[in-house]
Amino acid sequence: MGGANSMKYFHNCHPVVMFSYLIGVIFITMFTMNPIFIGISFLCSISFTFMLFGAKETVKSLLLAMPMIIIIALTNPLFVHKGETVLFFLNNNPMTLEAMIYGLFAALMLVSVFYWFKCYNRLMTSDKFIYLFGQVIPKLALMLSMMLNFVPKFIKQFKAVDESQKAMGIYSGSSYTDKIKCKFRVLSSLITWSLENSIETADSMKARGYGLKGRTSYSVFPWKTSDKLLMSYFGVMIIIVTVGLFTGYADFDYYPKITRMSFEIIPILLYFGGFILMFTSTIMEIKENMLWHYLKSKI
Amino acid sequence: MKKDLVAIAVVVFILVILLSGTKIQSVDDYYLTHIDEITDDSETIYISIDCKTVLDNWDKLDESLQNEKFIPAEGIVLEKSQYVLRPDDNAFDVLDRAIRHNEIQMEAVYSKGFGSNYVKGINHLYEFSCGELSGWMYKVNGEFPSYGASKYELQDGDYVEWVYSCDLGRDVGSEWGAQTA
Repeated sequence: MGGANSMKYFHNCHPVVMFSYLIGVIFITMFTMNPIFIGISFLCSISFTFMLFGAKETVKSLLLAMPMIIIIALTNPLFVHKGETVLFFLNNNPMTLEAMIYGLFAALMLVSVFYWFKCYNRLMTSDKFIYLFGQVIPKLALMLSMMLNFVPKFIKQFKAVDESQKAMGIYSGSSYTDKIKCKFRVLSSLITWSLENSIETADSMKARGYGLKGRTSYSVFPWKTSDKLLMSYFGVMIIIVTVGLFTGYADFDYYPKITRMSFEIIPILLYFGGFILMFTSTIMEIKENMLWHYLKSKI
Repeated sequence: MKKDLVAIAVVVFILVILLSGTKIQSVDDYYLTHIDEITDDSETIYISIDCKTVLDNWDKLDESLQNEKFIPAEGIVLEKSQYVLRPDDNAFDVLDRAIRHNEIQMEAVYSKGFGSNYVKGINHLYEFSCGELSGWMYKVNGEFPSYGASKYELQDGDYVEWVYSCDLGRDVGSEWGAQTA
């Protein structure tokens, strides 16, 4: 289960559905500081990443994210001195427990947005993005698509340049200083490459007549009944959760004193709704995997 | 290997410089201040801190602060009290000493352009906590100086009042606040 190569449900659903779901979830995560919501989003984003990328990749990226979370949690008290539980004073400034907890949840929120975007990048290929926005806002769509593709592309090219330099034997000594220097060299060549690459992409798209009036493009994204159902389900859930968040049922204060969690019926329903919405993506992939295995067993 | 050792030495050097500039104190140490005894011939000043204006603007106040603990009854954080004036004391030094003596929370930042410490919050009540025009101001002998507290040299018998304004100073009687608005 969770293999990187098996069928993905979200690959086959309509780009509009996928786009609205991911953007909705990302925005909900970004605009709340409620610890329960952030926790839910964090877990769901990781489970979805696990379904899309497999266990190895997920664990690897989690190992990178953990130190980041800890660093942000420890640095926040250096800049924010609010909060009533003072742990100690550093250069006459109080380091508070509240600031540290705020830092922890801000970091978790950041990491979950990062994971959602990781999934977004895997699912939303540039042809889908251009299909969605190529007609409406051609220039911006191309630019956004290039920007969102930039980081994965950059990492891929980094590995390629790094490996070729290693093969040529440049800076292959055992010294760590040399290794770091080598990485800087790779980085500088990468920046040149990325500038050149973006110009080439623009030129190439222009040569194909991209964005010209009257130019149609062929798309293979049928609007199925399942898409309609899924879209209305996502739409309703996203609206409910967003309205719930904006009416302040899940408001949460960290300073000067951390709010007590209220376990009344409406906040609990809101958390539950958020969980259902964010976990749906994982469930659909699990369902698809089971179907895949079932069909394979029948061959 | 030689290069690595040099790099490690540089990193350690930077860390030592950073650590030598930091002072870590426990909470008790921080609030432990020496307060001079008031004798007959010592120069003294008076200081008080209040946030009475918040009581009139309760609906604008952050919900997290709507608590007896942060807004004391009648809005008096520190009653008018007498402290010894040390040589070269300014209005901010006196506040800092009084705050530590009474174990009241306070946050201030030194801003270079302003040339003084700016008091962001006292007793968890911060600037902008009660509407967007709110913040801490100080007056000496009933008048609002138009410069920072760290620049105000105090004299014997001065009365420093720290007041919280919810309306850019107009509600606490600051004239220059009314002029600029």
